[in-house]
Amino acid sequence: MLQAIGLTKRYGGLIALGDVSFSVFQGEVLGLIGPNGSGKTTLFECLGGVLPLDAGSLMRDGRPFSARERASILFYLPDAIVPWPSQSVRWALDFTLGFFDGRTSLRGEVVDRLDIAPLLDTTIGALSKGQRKRALLAIGLLMPHPVLMADEPFDGLDLRQSRDVAGTLRSYASAGRTMFLSIHQIRDAARVCDRFVLLSGGRARGEGRIHELAALAAARAGSAVASDDLEEVFLALT
Amino acid sequence: MSAAVRPYVWLLKKEYRELVASRAWWVMLLAMGPLVGVTFISAVRTYAEASGLNGTSAGVGEAFSPLIGVWAPTFSACEVAAVFLLPFVGIRLVSGDRQSGALKIELQHPMSAFTRVGAKALVLLGGWIVASTAPAAAVLLWKSYGGSIYPPELAAVAFGHLLNAGLTIALAAAAAALTEHPSTAAILTLSVTVGTWIVNFIAAVQGGVWERVAGYTPPAMIAGFQHGLIRLDVVLIALTLVLAGLALAAVWLRLGVAVRRRVHESIALGALTAAVVFSCAFATPSWDTSESRINSFPEADEVALARIRAPLRIEAHLAPEDPRRADLEHRAIAKLRRVLPKVQVQYVSATSIGLFEQNAPHYGEIWYELGGRREMSRVTTAEGVLETIYALAGVKPPLESEDAIFRGHPLAVPPKGAAAVFYGIWPALVVAGAVLVGRLGR
Repeated sequence: MLQAIGLTKRYGGLIALGDVSFSVFQGEVLGLIGPNGSGKTTLFECLGGVLPLDAGSLMRDGRPFSARERASILFYLPDAIVPWPSQSVRWALDFTLGFFDGRTSLRGEVVDRLDIAPLLDTTIGALSKGQRKRALLAIGLLMPHPVLMADEPFDGLDLRQSRDVAGTLRSYASAGRTMFLSIHQIRDAARVCDRFVLLSGGRARGEGRIHELAALAAARAGSAVASDDLEEVFLALT
Repeated sequence: MSAAVRPYVWLLKKEYRELVASRAWWVMLLAMGPLVGVTFISAVRTYAEASGLNGTSAGVGEAFSPLIGVWAPTFSACEVAAVFLLPFVGIRLVSGDRQSGALKIELQHPMSAFTRVGAKALVLLGGWIVASTAPAAAVLLWKSYGGSIYPPELAAVAFGHLLNAGLTIALAAAAAALTEHPSTAAILTLSVTVGTWIVNFIAAVQGGVWERVAGYTPPAMIAGFQHGLIRLDVVLIALTLVLAGLALAAVWLRLGVAVRRRVHESIALGALTAAVVFSCAFATPSWDTSESRINSFPEADEVALARIRAPLRIEAHLAPEDPRRADLEHRAIAKLRRVLPKVQVQYVSATSIGLFEQNAPHYGEIWYELGGRREMSRVTTAEGVLETIYALAGVKPPLESEDAIFRGHPLAVPPKGAAAVFYGIWPALVVAGAVLVGRLGR
């Protein structure tokens, strides 16, 4: 569906992203895995159009697409933001649905699945971190864009909430929506993602399903790596 | 509602909600009442005293016009609010999105950055108009006292302050977009404001080109409108600067565009703005909306002056800080420029204060040159200047008409009820409004 080719971003002499390439397929849950400071957020912000890239391009079905096309394909949900803090969750949903011409028909379902009905009249600034994360995920799921990029979607959620949110994201992916999730907790990533892009030090260290990454790790290390353990695979490749 | 318009309407709704949710706006609203109250009450008292209240001889206020006696001081509260309060409201609305992270979400809509900034500016202007109901209340009070209202001059004052608010909003938006933090934006905005005061100061001392530049600073612009004078060049330049400020904000709110490109675009915008401002400075039409024709010669004189086709050159040997120069400029030259666009004025002096030039040869002389003839005079009054020009042009001075003399509207009444309105009812209404909007807004 989408190919990112040679994405590069520098902050002065620091290379935040160095020649990162990967593919995104329709209806999959793709995990962007990496430790803190590996460049995950930078990559998402560049893809979301809120940070300029120094080099690289995005292709769709083999042809580059414009910023306007990108705005209709990708929706980036940033982490650690408190948008419109004095407005209620209900109004934030109304606004984003109206502003982006979102999926109004899904509103009730998304509110139920993310269990935010009790929060609808609370202002966003008054929500806890986990509540805010669920409210923001609701906004992301209601957007019309075929690809949702969520930065740290499980950050601030407890175990039960993480599982519920993972199930919700997977169900929308199985309905055709593409999920691209940046996750630093590898166990969370293993639970929800179909494929992975491993990022470390601003560089892509591998891409594929877990057994493909295990094979890649084994080839590089010269010894077998457990193919069902993403943590081991990640450590071997980074 | 069409699909193209819907996002913009939602954006306007959002900006409106963000404005009414901001304490900065409510504080500005709260402060406007007492600010206008102080200036209005003091102006009406002075006007009443001059008109014969409290034993002062009646008739002193005959030359009084409500424009100068009441509206200029009352509306000056708007100038204070525009300098010290409105920038913070604007910065809050523009920086708030960046600080909260909302901008990262909103930027993903393909709407143009200028449209986005324009929505903020529109809402801020709306917020300013709501705040302007305080001087509007003063107008109603004045009317209730039996005061005279001449709508064109009142509209000119209100328009001038609206334009000034637009300038402040554009400046605040640009500062907020250029800087990462609201406090830096506030410092930048106030620095620009202080910068314009410095330009005015230098103009007063140095004169020359500084005087010309200072004529377009907000305080000078406001002063013109407060005298009921609408100058096309001032309006065009102010509108250009408003658009340029908003465009600069739009350039720097596009976080996804490389900084180098934004710098290049800003430089190009600056150059374009300078060119447009330079061109607009040559627009000469102006309208004197004052009932007293404070910015104009009597109509008969204007008709006589209009018959003079040859270019007029005036060389005044007066220093920038010499009070006679200010007299000459305001009482005669400014009026002359409105009737004779081809008038050329040159001031000559060796020092800025002129104190030690008094005995210098030619100091204090004003030379007039018209159609190859020269004449010297030392008179700085409008009548004296006109007399010299008529003599040079060979034009017969028109007869003074009694009907053309402005008799003024003296009004010897105290500002009854104004204190209750501005110090009691206004703050109470604002607080009640803030509580109500806070409860209903969600």
